[in-house]
Amino acid sequence: MAVALQNILRFIFLILLQVFILDNIQFMGYINPMIYVLFILSLPVRFPKWALLILAFIMGLIIDVFSNTAGMHSFALVFAAFLRTPVINIFTSIDEGSNPTPSFHTFGVSAYVKYVVILVLIHHFILFFIESFSFLHLTLLIPKIIISSTVTILLILGLQSFKSK
Amino acid sequence: MVFLFVALEILSLVLLSNNKGYQRSIMLSSGNTLVGRMYEATNAFVEFFKLSEANDNLAIENTQLKNRVVELENKLNSLTDTLNNVSWKNIRISPENEYAYITAKVIRNTTHLTQNYITLNKGSLEGIAPDMGVIGDDGVVGIVKSVSPKFSVVIPILNPKIQISSKFKKNNYSGPLVWNGKDSRFASLNDIARHVRFSLGDTIVTSGLTKNFPGGILVGTINDYNIKESDAYYNIQVKLAVNYRTLTHVKVINYKNYSEQSALEKQVTDEDKKK
Repeated sequence: MAVALQNILRFIFLILLQVFILDNIQFMGYINPMIYVLFILSLPVRFPKWALLILAFIMGLIIDVFSNTAGMHSFALVFAAFLRTPVINIFTSIDEGSNPTPSFHTFGVSAYVKYVVILVLIHHFILFFIESFSFLHLTLLIPKIIISSTVTILLILGLQSFKSK
Repeated sequence: MVFLFVALEILSLVLLSNNKGYQRSIMLSSGNTLVGRMYEATNAFVEFFKLSEANDNLAIENTQLKNRVVELENKLNSLTDTLNNVSWKNIRISPENEYAYITAKVIRNTTHLTQNYITLNKGSLEGIAPDMGVIGDDGVVGIVKSVSPKFSVVIPILNPKIQISSKFKKNNYSGPLVWNGKDSRFASLNDIARHVRFSLGDTIVTSGLTKNFPGGILVGTINDYNIKESDAYYNIQVKLAVNYRTLTHVKVINYKNYSEQSALEKQVTDEDKKK
């Protein structure tokens, strides 16, 4: 019950943080961190996959509604959610019966960092790729993906290390 | 599982493609009432810090308008004698100049995406309709895309979906102004042929050849240009007059003869198609 409540609060908190604070950051025209990915990253490991996909879709759609980009964020987030389980299986060995929430503590520092980096990169790549689909500037796109991903990853890792104390 | 994944991704793509067209996906845009209200609330907070600057601009504009009133009054007085015999009803305003402004506040604005949008705090209840032009204190901002009763969404110049028909102020050569997707300060002016003479710093204004804007509204100034030996057209970079990063208030242009002009033009093109 406590885990469910925690996730609902995280869902609301991340949307507010994303839409009202981070979406207004336009430093150098490149950096637009997407912290909301953390919601999908932080659901318990054995969370049903179908529900994971549907939650990812709903969250993406809410972000889309706020940024006038119907379908863009939902596509990228569902994609990242779909790859979440395979990525967890590659980097960790969770006991059959247990159902931990992903964090530095449960995954180990190195596995958790890899997990966050891979999924954030996938998500940002797809997102920025779709955004400039009709309008391809690869020289502009690659730095945008790398810089935004780096900031998102640092924000997520920072937030998580702060929490575990 | 894979089926659900594919279904959700296809649904996203359908939403995406619907939104890319020039369509009214008002339910999923920030013209949506609830989202609009939330932005209005946060914006009230942010705007507080921009008040003094807005105040200065208003004072400057006010002075300019007062000067203009005095100037016009003087002209009118000097003409009084000749005007005594004229009935005011007979004075004709040319139809393309019959427009009115609706002021609105910007409550949502992006400049860093490749397709940017602006949301305003007024909608169809205040008389705003799709396809109306939008200008700021400094110059052209964009065109209204869609409206709800209380909000409207504007496509600014900073979105490759629109082109603003512009011309040189000094010699009237016109061409479409489009954004290159990179920098919110600059856009490019296309279709200016090799033989046209101009120089850096020349003023670009609206052409008045579309129904969105009257002619002569400031768009920007020429910042840079080049032309290759083999090209027929110049590659011109225009520094936009409006600073999108600090935009707070805009005026929507309500062209009163819009429907009459459109109906007549449509009638002619329809007749041509039948032949």
